[in-house]
Amino acid sequence: MTMQTTRRRALALAAGFIAAPALLRAQGDEAIKLRELYAGDNEFSEFARDSEGERITVEGFMAPPLQADSTFFVLTKMPMSVCPFCETEAEWPEDILAIYTRRKYRVVPFNRKIVVRGELELGGYRDPETGFVSLVRLANAQFDYA
Amino acid sequence: MRTLSLGIAALLAGTTAMAQDVAQADNEWFTAGQERVQAELAKTQNTNTARNVILMISDGNGVGSNYVTRLFMGQQAGGLGDDHVIHFENYPNLALVKTYNVNSQTPDSAGTGTAMMAGVKTNIGVVGVNSNVVRGDCSTLPGNTVTAISEIADGMGKSVGAISTARITHATPASMYAKTVDRNFEDSVPEGCTEQTDIASQLLEAMTGGLIDIAMGGGRRHFVPEGVEVEEGTGGRRADGRNLIEEAQEAGAYYAWNMETFAAAPLDGETPILGLFESSHMQYEADREDEPSLAEMTAAAIEHLSQNENGFVLMVEAGRVDHANHATNAARMVRDGAAFAEAVAMADEMTDDEETLIVVTADHEHAIAMNGYCARGSPVLGLCMQADNAGIEHTGEPILANDGKPYTVIGYLNGASSVLIEQPGGEYFGARPDVTNEEAQDIDYVQQALVPLSSETHSGEDVAVYAKGPFSHLYDGTIEQNVIFHVMHHAMTAE
Repeated sequence: MTMQTTRRRALALAAGFIAAPALLRAQGDEAIKLRELYAGDNEFSEFARDSEGERITVEGFMAPPLQADSTFFVLTKMPMSVCPFCETEAEWPEDILAIYTRRKYRVVPFNRKIVVRGELELGGYRDPETGFVSLVRLANAQFDYA
Repeated sequence: MRTLSLGIAALLAGTTAMAQDVAQADNEWFTAGQERVQAELAKTQNTNTARNVILMISDGNGVGSNYVTRLFMGQQAGGLGDDHVIHFENYPNLALVKTYNVNSQTPDSAGTGTAMMAGVKTNIGVVGVNSNVVRGDCSTLPGNTVTAISEIADGMGKSVGAISTARITHATPASMYAKTVDRNFEDSVPEGCTEQTDIASQLLEAMTGGLIDIAMGGGRRHFVPEGVEVEEGTGGRRADGRNLIEEAQEAGAYYAWNMETFAAAPLDGETPILGLFESSHMQYEADREDEPSLAEMTAAAIEHLSQNENGFVLMVEAGRVDHANHATNAARMVRDGAAFAEAVAMADEMTDDEETLIVVTADHEHAIAMNGYCARGSPVLGLCMQADNAGIEHTGEPILANDGKPYTVIGYLNGASSVLIEQPGGEYFGARPDVTNEEAQDIDYVQQALVPLSSETHSGEDVAVYAKGPFSHLYDGTIEQNVIFHVMHHAMTAE
């Protein structure tokens, strides 16, 4: 428990970390599940279409990022210990969310649930650095442990 | 002493007489037990020749996983779950199966598929070859291939089918038609490997050569060249530039890739049918869209194959029970398990026990485990609930562990959902997440695991084999997995 608190504080001091869950809740945002953005084969849900451009809160897991000191990671609905770039054979799930943080962030273990808040962007985008193609993103994002 | 004597006398006279001498004679458990004994006494052995053999494999559905699915199906039906009977659990014959591979205490689907379909145990990771082969070394293939039950059936003039919800080039279905020193050679072999072709090519060859009459599953990407995009945005993986789907069609095969083309398939017993419904594995049952269910594919295969008067051999695999377990996602595991049960019931309904041997089994178990002491009716995907000493069903209050948190009925010994979290500095420790009964039953919930691994593993624990039809009584006791083949073979060839 002590370690948890220590780590929490360490994270709080880390660049890119801003909002605490209590604060997120205070803003009246219930974290949605990743799947709520989708409505079947590559279609966005009504919620996603209605929320485009707005700040929303999504729960999930941080897939291991390719590089340190980044502002980009992939949010998955379940813990995924393989990074989407490292394993060409990885069976990557369809419903993922690309996250672009406001500032460089500290990596969270892939099996620790987090909540991410950011501006919902829809439509194809190719990350200039990694080449990762996303259809849906959260921009200017912040996150914390769930 | 008097009771014992009376009991013996009653046994000699039949169980009804015995029941009159015991206080619990009217107890429903007691009478149900008596009825079971009568049913066992009435059993007869079917020694007909099996015109047809249907081998139904739920990948990763060991006794533990199957128990979880039983509870789920029973609770979905409105009961407490424990007393539910899955369709194939009614079958008259059963054995426990030792699944280890020759060189692996914990087996994989390649070694186990070969054991079931060719009658010999072999090494982990290899298909259709014996254990002299060195995995990945093509030069060790010649002289070490084994004959599959599909080839024996074909030689007897029977039709043959293989269907799976996994990629059709995956280890279990490949065991019906392929010989490969590595299960991963799905669309290519290493440079310099001249002794074999890739698994998808071998399927095409099996279909154009008349060995396989119907093959359906996922894995479209392994049949299409790199740089070519086909149905549903599938990008091909083949470096050799071949389009095996087109080659199959040119050779007269019918190709299905969605529900519409599946429904239009000419199930005439003549046209070879190739169904590739996904780029990789078919969807989990919980997510299924525009793809046939395993039961629907089973029905189509039987309709197609049963037009051969010499009969058929069909292998049906529920391939994704395994994958959901690997993801420690029990919610999807049980739904694919239930879909498997429906497929078995479909096969049973469409065939006659007098001439069709149905063998229902798993290739291996997983590192899945059950917590205790959960009271009756504890939701199998949810929290382990306290017993009501004055009633049958749980109290609605979860049992709390020493850390003050509830725990789910199901857990996994290892997996990506490990409760151990990597700390700065590389050490792993952690606390169990607090979970509500509702959260635990979510379709995407992953059960807590202990050992941190990227993917939950198989285990070497026994699986069951359930059987009905000709010579199914030969499945008895605790057997080695390769015996599954030998009973099918005996039933097919018995004079």
